[in-house]
Amino acid sequence: MAEGLEFALRYPFCESAKSALAGMDLSERIVDLAVERLLKALKGDKSAKMLLHDSDRKEEIASFAAARMILGHLRNSYLTNAFAVNESKRVRDCLDKDDERTVDAVAAQFGIATANEGRKLTVALPTYLRYSTRNPHYRLINRRLVRGRVEINYEEKKRLIEEAVKKHMESVPLVKDPPDMIKAAGARLVAELPKTESRVLGTVKAGDHPPCVMRLLDEMNKHTNLPHQARLYLATYFLAIGTSEDEINRMFSMLPDYSEKITRYQVGHIRKKGYNVASCATVMTYGLCCAVCRIGSPLNWHSLDDSRKNAIRERGAGGGGAP
Amino acid sequence: MNAADATLARKIFASYYETAEFRIPMLEQREFGIGNQKKIDARHLNFANAQEFRNYLCNNTPLFVSHSTAYYDFPGASPMVKKCWRGADVVFDLDIHAEGRFGAYAHLASVKEDVIRLVNDFILNDFGISRENVAVAFSGNRGYHVHVRDPAFLPLGSDERHELVDYIMGQGLDYTQFFTPEGKPAKLIGPRPDEGGYRGRLARGTIKLLEEDPGQLSRLFTKEKERNFFISGIKEGNWSRTSLKPNDLVSRLKPLAAGLPVGSVDTDAGVTQDLSKLIRVPNSIHGDTGMVARIINNIDAFDPWKDAMMREAGGGGIGDMKIRFTEDVPAIEMDQTMGPFNKDDELALPRHYALFFVLKGSATLAGPTG
Repeated sequence: MAEGLEFALRYPFCESAKSALAGMDLSERIVDLAVERLLKALKGDKSAKMLLHDSDRKEEIASFAAARMILGHLRNSYLTNAFAVNESKRVRDCLDKDDERTVDAVAAQFGIATANEGRKLTVALPTYLRYSTRNPHYRLINRRLVRGRVEINYEEKKRLIEEAVKKHMESVPLVKDPPDMIKAAGARLVAELPKTESRVLGTVKAGDHPPCVMRLLDEMNKHTNLPHQARLYLATYFLAIGTSEDEINRMFSMLPDYSEKITRYQVGHIRKKGYNVASCATVMTYGLCCAVCRIGSPLNWHSLDDSRKNAIRERGAGGGGAP
Repeated sequence: MNAADATLARKIFASYYETAEFRIPMLEQREFGIGNQKKIDARHLNFANAQEFRNYLCNNTPLFVSHSTAYYDFPGASPMVKKCWRGADVVFDLDIHAEGRFGAYAHLASVKEDVIRLVNDFILNDFGISRENVAVAFSGNRGYHVHVRDPAFLPLGSDERHELVDYIMGQGLDYTQFFTPEGKPAKLIGPRPDEGGYRGRLARGTIKLLEEDPGQLSRLFTKEKERNFFISGIKEGNWSRTSLKPNDLVSRLKPLAAGLPVGSVDTDAGVTQDLSKLIRVPNSIHGDTGMVARIINNIDAFDPWKDAMMREAGGGGIGDMKIRFTEDVPAIEMDQTMGPFNKDDELALPRHYALFFVLKGSATLAGPTG
């Protein structure tokens, strides 16, 4: 049975969670659980609790809604993105354990409808575009695409759901005048956040870099969770222009799933192995190119004169006023 | 362009706009921009209905008029965030930038070929969008605009549109991945002509090349028996029915694979990704040429020099107009060869041709004669 209390516990953003909570009021206990949930997100802890009583389960489900209220009140992108990454990874673990019917029920929540075509699954192109990560494996060009249907496998379907959950969590409706309990919880959480975040990008951002690097730094400034290739690209690029490992580590601390230990190891490994900076062609296949520089390698940016750089920046500025 | 030329151009434009047919879906939710010195001098305009829009054009008559690809709750609000974005058409801008101000006109036919491929192969076949949600318009100058208005695609963000453009431009396309050795002795398994996307296009393109110019792939295929045996294999996805070595065969397909993407979207990829782009209103006049950004019903038969010239009565198509050239102009292949003209040449031309050179800034009015 897909849509019971257990289902709502694992997938508290689903409609059935809302009906499970009907008539329940916000309490100190629920707000405490919400704070706990958010603190776990900051640590990247996605473990689930064993809950025996329905009342405990309901409180745990409600803690998700309360956590969203706190986020809507705080509007802190670091915390919101850390929560989005952690919850989506937690959901992925649940999807891996659940059966296909349950996975379909979660997918339906985000309008992800797959069709069986022979041994393969297909999904509508707009849905695929919206929920696939920008990573070479998911590039549309490498997919079979027929009449608006993109071929995927079951594992990839779960990855689309994970991304849909993350996107859903990243957009939190503004909570203008929350109950005092929520305000107090918000204040407790702010005290737990890393203090230096607004100055972290200062030194690297002040430099002069190609548009693709600037764009990634902007994304990082907003605490967006960057894909693996983007992180690798940034690390090799900054090492190549002589940025210290400490500074690069500090830069990555903006990421919502930052772990100092892992980052130090990986940046050190990249330096030791002497990995090359990706060429523009590779940056393009990663889906990270955002301007027409025609410079072959991002490092050649530094030998361009200012007028050429300005012309590229102007040409590359396709957006403007986007929502 | 001097003041007298601009006044005359506006008069001709205004009389065209009195009866012009606009088809702007959800006009009231779009932002408009107008321009006289530049393509956009002022934006954040909006109109309640088509009549209000027509009245504005007849009374104010800008040289350029554009509407947003986006739909908003408050299209007239500024700054942009206050408009409340609700979605945007997916628009592709295809043109060619060539040397000189008149250079691109020689390539209009090849851009048209790209438009046909973009619409048929990519938008209808691969993306699965139905024809009634696709509108093609001439840009009024040196290219075409393709507007996709499928409701499922309107909410797409900038990154997602980028992915569509990359797909069309073939960014990151590695056709060698389509081929895998299988079985013992190893067969080269590759795409079949009945497959979708780039795979099917590569298979169909190879068969077409073999039928039309087999020597280009290899001299082996000039022999009919060899060729037919190879083609029969491709149709089943077996690319081994030839004595060519697999690696050699795959590398010989490189030029063919390079021609599969649509090249002329390249220069204006930013248009598709820009969620607040203003694009020329279909069936409005391009102020640099006096040509109509005509909505095209049958792209195969469309010829801009015949169909986009403003020939409507009141549109300036009647009578001759005397102009004096202010610079040398090379010969241009319109529906008839025009030019070359030399600086200070004075002559009477049918009004739509005369207007073209005046708006291009190559000539000035020397008094109407017709």
